Amino acid sequence: MFGRGRSHPRWTLLVVTTLALAALTALPVASAESVQDITFDEDAAQYRRVRLTAATVPGAASYEVWFATAQFNDTAAAMLHSTLLVGDTSDLDRPAAGSGYDDCWVDGEAAARDASGRVVVAATAGNWTCDLTGLTPGVAHWFAVIALGEDGAPLNASSPIHAVTATSEVVDEPPPPPDTTPYLIAIGGIALALVATLLVLRQRDARDGRALARNAHAYIAPALLALAILTFYPVAYGIWLGFTNAHQTHLGDNAFVGLANFVTVLTASGFLRVTAFTLVWTVINVAFHVSLGLCLALLLDRADLRGRTAYRTCLLLPWAIPSYISVLVWRGMLQPDGLVNDLLGTDLDMLAGESAAKVAVILVNIWLGVPFMMMALSGALQSIPQDMHEAAKVDGVGDWHRFRHLTLPNLKSALVPLSLLGFIWTFNMFNVIYLMTDGGPDLWFGEPGATDILITYVYDVAFRDGAYGLAAAWSVVIFAMLVAFSWFYMRRTDATEAVA
Amino acid sequence: MSTAPTAAATAPHADLVLGWYRPVEVDGMVSLLGVALIVNLLLLPIEMVRGADGTLLHGLEVAGLVWLWTAARALARGLTGTTAPIVAAGLCFVPAVMSLRHAAGTTGIAATGSGLTVWALWSAAWVVVPAGLAFITFSSRAVVAWSAGTLVTAGAEAGLARNSRLRPRIEQAASHAGLMHAAALVLIPVVWILDVAISPGNGLGGSIGDAFTGEHFARVLGGDSFWIWLRNSVAVSLGTTLLGLALAVPAGYAFSRFRFRGRDAAMFSFLLVQMFPGVIILVPYFLVMKSLGLLNTWLGLILAYSVTALPLCVWMLKGFFDTVPRELEEAALLDGCNQAQVFRRVILPLSLPAVAVTALFSFLVAWNEFLLALTFNTSNDMYTLPVGLASMISATGQAWGDFAAASLLVSLPVAALFIVFQRFLIQGLSAGGVKG
Repeated sequence: MFGRGRSHPRWTLLVVTTLALAALTALPVASAESVQDITFDEDAAQYRRVRLTAATVPGAASYEVWFATAQFNDTAAAMLHSTLLVGDTSDLDRPAAGSGYDDCWVDGEAAARDASGRVVVAATAGNWTCDLTGLTPGVAHWFAVIALGEDGAPLNASSPIHAVTATSEVVDEPPPPPDTTPYLIAIGGIALALVATLLVLRQRDARDGRALARNAHAYIAPALLALAILTFYPVAYGIWLGFTNAHQTHLGDNAFVGLANFVTVLTASGFLRVTAFTLVWTVINVAFHVSLGLCLALLLDRADLRGRTAYRTCLLLPWAIPSYISVLVWRGMLQPDGLVNDLLGTDLDMLAGESAAKVAVILVNIWLGVPFMMMALSGALQSIPQDMHEAAKVDGVGDWHRFRHLTLPNLKSALVPLSLLGFIWTFNMFNVIYLMTDGGPDLWFGEPGATDILITYVYDVAFRDGAYGLAAAWSVVIFAMLVAFSWFYMRRTDATEAVA
Repeated sequence: MSTAPTAAATAPHADLVLGWYRPVEVDGMVSLLGVALIVNLLLLPIEMVRGADGTLLHGLEVAGLVWLWTAARALARGLTGTTAPIVAAGLCFVPAVMSLRHAAGTTGIAATGSGLTVWALWSAAWVVVPAGLAFITFSSRAVVAWSAGTLVTAGAEAGLARNSRLRPRIEQAASHAGLMHAAALVLIPVVWILDVAISPGNGLGGSIGDAFTGEHFARVLGGDSFWIWLRNSVAVSLGTTLLGLALAVPAGYAFSRFRFRGRDAAMFSFLLVQMFPGVIILVPYFLVMKSLGLLNTWLGLILAYSVTALPLCVWMLKGFFDTVPRELEEAALLDGCNQAQVFRRVILPLSLPAVAVTALFSFLVAWNEFLLALTFNTSNDMYTLPVGLASMISATGQAWGDFAAASLLVSLPVAALFIVFQRFLIQGLSAGGVKG
């Protein structure tokens, strides 16, 4: 959990810079140019981070900051923390300090950054300062700054390592427990209001003399309370969150930001792309679930079919096996050395291409979803009265016409809610995408990936970026889409019913 | 009058024959060839992915099938004679056999040794079998006699009788063919994961059944992680079941038996919850749980799961309670029981099977849930089985063999439970989900 907490005076990382001198004397130093003054600013040191200042080296093309938790004389024993480039900074943006974790300054001003966010130091600058994040509290760290020339080789050939030791003496303290009072007040208020309502209703029933219903309100109270506290309250809270700037960096300190999150969502690059793919994903899946499920249900509907129970049991397996296991198994089968390639006699990485991955996740979800539709439609088929079919058969009506004009109309009352249910489920099918591709193979920063659907992207926004407010706004938009679609669908199907 | 019999014997009675009688196997063939054509058209892009040689031969197969299908349709519609479909069927064999020879000639990529993969055999079978059946059908006596157009009434009548005998058999065969394909698609991953679980090494290669080892089971059962995840999953699932039942049973009973103020509103609120997608709840849920300190605990997941399953459980139980006769309760009330005693002593014992099914449903919901567990319980010793198993196939390392062994251990019991109780579960689900 690097960089989770905000700075706090008590956790200030104490950096011992005096050891730097000792380290300097211990290491052979090649030339005067390569000697850099590296200092740590004690006052600016924060939880899990230190602020390092270094003088520039003439002729350097880039600087590398290396670190390790043990003293090192070779970069092989250290880890690269960050790289700073040297170049022309006149056209580059200078994001204000505080916009990211890895703040840097050049000669006391916010550092310029190139398109991919790397710090660029002007060749004429005198020194630069960076906040180095992700350190382990209470552990000594050794740092080295290496100036590299145009050819990528260290400028100070005899001794590339120019090391400084830093230690921190602060133990890792857990953040203070968040303030639970608002939540408890909200939950208590909901519970009290609900209980009061139930009591009033009970009083009225008693006054009307419904003696038998005396205990009814007590019977439903626990379930209703659970529902109100654990479902309706979070939903309402989630809608409220959509209008705030809730973020994991300042928990419990949310400000109302109006419609800003919704503007961000609707203008996000990739909003249309991810919505379009979600719709394609949902429509194709539901179409195949319903049509294949209906085909199989019709095949299984023959009473004289031998081995019917065996088939039914077998075809139920994708529903019976936990879906996360099936998805991971399919992911294994689609690997270059997996079963699908074995059977085909090929050697393809089917999850590596954008279109191939899209087809693969859709096929896997079709595999998963057919049994539910098959069983539900089997039940519906059995409730169709057989005498109409017998009469039609006697009249010489063909198979197709009997299916089209007898079976389908009779199934409609089951097909409409089932396909709507399938639509909502598929729209929110998190496991398949997350476990198969996790939005990949192509991922872009701050944008949904190639195979992301809305819900997997919301998960990323909330739990990778930590932007809870923005994620809540996405959720509200998704919910609005689902409600709009359901309403439209019900209206359309009702309309056709009225015409037919 | 005297010329009528000879006319009947010589003149083609095409209208009579076509209007009243057509051998049922001709219709069956037309359907089969249509399906075979669709299947082979769908295989075409896959053949293109596999390589250019296969595509050319497969294209020839498709062309042959198009001709065969057209000829069969023409025969079924207008008595065009059986020569064309027989020749077409014969021609279809040529590219099919060539593609098989081609496949056998190439070296296989996997450990199968030969290029004659299951895939090559299966895709060739979708040409060879329809063409072979077409060859037999169109050269059979019944079809030849019919297509000559010289059948007399008696012959047509005999044919009709034969049709009604043959039709169910053809339909059976077609059903079996379709269902076997579906069953194979379902079983292939299951068989494969069994094989991975017993194959040495944590890789994926190797053909099915080439080696045996128990190392993966030994490692999974011998390590700590699996038992920790199992403990968490069992605790969460049992907690969900108990809490879910404690909430759902009284509510289902009240909805089934009493008419009281607020009943409709309460029932509607249960329906409404089913329409909420999980996504809208995920973020606020996480924040509430975080603030109350319920992340990385059993209780947090138990609370969340029992409410997730609650609406369906209430509806299932209401449906079951509706079937318990009221008279029993009234008799018990007359005998001096109070309402609570009636519920405990009369209703509950009678509806025990229903309660058991509901309990199983809650248990399965909690056992299989992934998203909330992934979000809430982020520390390794609080993982439930789904999150734990998924963590075995992560970016840092893919232990396929261990994963396969663990997933068999996890899914076999629940899949067996599900299949044994499927009839009741599906009844309950459709009562709650579809009718509701």
